[in-house]
Amino acid sequence: MSLSTVAKYISLTWEMTKSSILSAMEYRVSFLVQVFGMLVNDIALVAIWLIFFQKFPSINGWQFQDTAMLFALTTVNFAIVMIFARGAFEFSKTIARGELDYYLSFPKNVLWHASVSKTDISAIGDLLFGLIIFFFSGDISLEKIGLFAVIGVLTALIFLNFIIITQSITFYVGNFEEAAEQMFHALLGFTLYPQTAFYGALKIIMLTIIPAFFIATLPVQLIQKFNLEFFLILLGFWILTTIIATIIFRRGLRRYESGNLINVKM
Amino acid sequence: MSEVKTLQNGSGLFGYKFLKYFEIAKVNYFNSSAYLVNLISRSAIVVIRIWIFTQLYKVSYSISGVSEIGGLTVAMVVWSLMMTQSFQTATRPQLSKLIDEEVKSGTLAYSVNRPYSYILFHFSGFIGRSIPNLFINLFIGSLAAIVLVGPIGFGWKALVFGAVLLLFGYILDFFVSLIIGLTAFWVEDTSAFTWIYSKGQLVFGGLILPIALFPDYLQKIAELLPFSQMYYGAARLIVHFDLSLFLQYFATQLIWILFFGVVAYYLFNKGIKHVSVNGG
Repeated sequence: MSLSTVAKYISLTWEMTKSSILSAMEYRVSFLVQVFGMLVNDIALVAIWLIFFQKFPSINGWQFQDTAMLFALTTVNFAIVMIFARGAFEFSKTIARGELDYYLSFPKNVLWHASVSKTDISAIGDLLFGLIIFFFSGDISLEKIGLFAVIGVLTALIFLNFIIITQSITFYVGNFEEAAEQMFHALLGFTLYPQTAFYGALKIIMLTIIPAFFIATLPVQLIQKFNLEFFLILLGFWILTTIIATIIFRRGLRRYESGNLINVKM
Repeated sequence: MSEVKTLQNGSGLFGYKFLKYFEIAKVNYFNSSAYLVNLISRSAIVVIRIWIFTQLYKVSYSISGVSEIGGLTVAMVVWSLMMTQSFQTATRPQLSKLIDEEVKSGTLAYSVNRPYSYILFHFSGFIGRSIPNLFINLFIGSLAAIVLVGPIGFGWKALVFGAVLLLFGYILDFFVSLIIGLTAFWVEDTSAFTWIYSKGQLVFGGLILPIALFPDYLQKIAELLPFSQMYYGAARLIVHFDLSLFLQYFATQLIWILFFGVVAYYLFNKGIKHVSVNGG
């Protein structure tokens, strides 16, 4: 894929998301309720850790500031995926219902098109929350802002790959919708807690099936103290998951059977 | 047919009247237990969550150098979290969303004309759906807790009084969810209320952090809020029975049920006036 193709896809992604957001903004009250509702929702999540750290000030060196940075990063990477590629989260349903036909008739990449077809408006609230908490989470330098942006995007891409892999299992086994959603929630679940509390077999799960280590633990460490070696590991993990996600989706697509549905998209 | 006979005989009219709600609960019970794969995937998540709690609280307690906080040991904390999580997740799918959809799609207009109470119809469905999920959650959760932190002893008193608090907790959750769903009569989007409600439960409902571990002043506030009276009260009582605590929780529960029951009834009657049946 040439650089100009990548640039084209990025600008198309931007245009599609922009039009989704603008059409959602037509319903002004609903739009504001979703965005600010999510903001309040996220604040409640931080509140529980404020209480927790009053009782247990440090968990193996992990303090409230670390949790704040963890929340900043994970709400931002979650928001990036949900704003730009909410469609990926619905692959399982789309495949099972035979609704992928619509995207097959277009000249653009099917995986990309189906992913960017939807936007989760409430995720804008998550993005705002993540940015606010990042700017209040201690000493902020220009370097740190850049690092946060790069790692935010990189972990969002890993997150997206995880969603594509789990949702695409439906191509092979039929009904995997609920299981894929549960795996997604398990991943989110891991990102709530002090990351230094986990050990043993649970840590192995975090490194493999539910890769919370690469979406939360390692990136937070990197933002707080940059280390080239760890950064390359994160980059390598992104490349690896991209290859797996592409292969699973492409092979699965060959098995896909049309639902023969006639849909009119307005 | 048997219920028709009972009615024709003229006896047991009262029983007949309530039989239909029992049947609604039964249909929802079987519907919910039919999807075994879904139940299994949900259970796997329950196990992972308990595993996370075990490691988190084992580390937290050992760093603090204490074996008991607020009367609870690590094992009690893990068991109580397992229970609150099992009680709460058993109620899925969220009732507020179901009602919201009925209000928006207009199917509510058909339901209210049928010969049953709309509120009791949903209550029966809510309980019927929750029962199979509850038993599976508790079964898997208890196995995980036994493996991870070992068994804890609780007597029959703790179980009976805990079950009473749980039943009333479900009634309380039902009314609040109903109210959120009914607000769809007036607002475009109720999802924000649902998020805030579920986060209220997460913070003050003892789903991640038992209220017994809160700082004292916050503990007092949390115990007065409705969130703690849904599922935390029952779990707390089962892991460490205390009669005076039962009376305190039960009284708080009843006051909230009365309050939300009245609000729900009022909103339902007010909202129903917005409904116009166009036929067809």
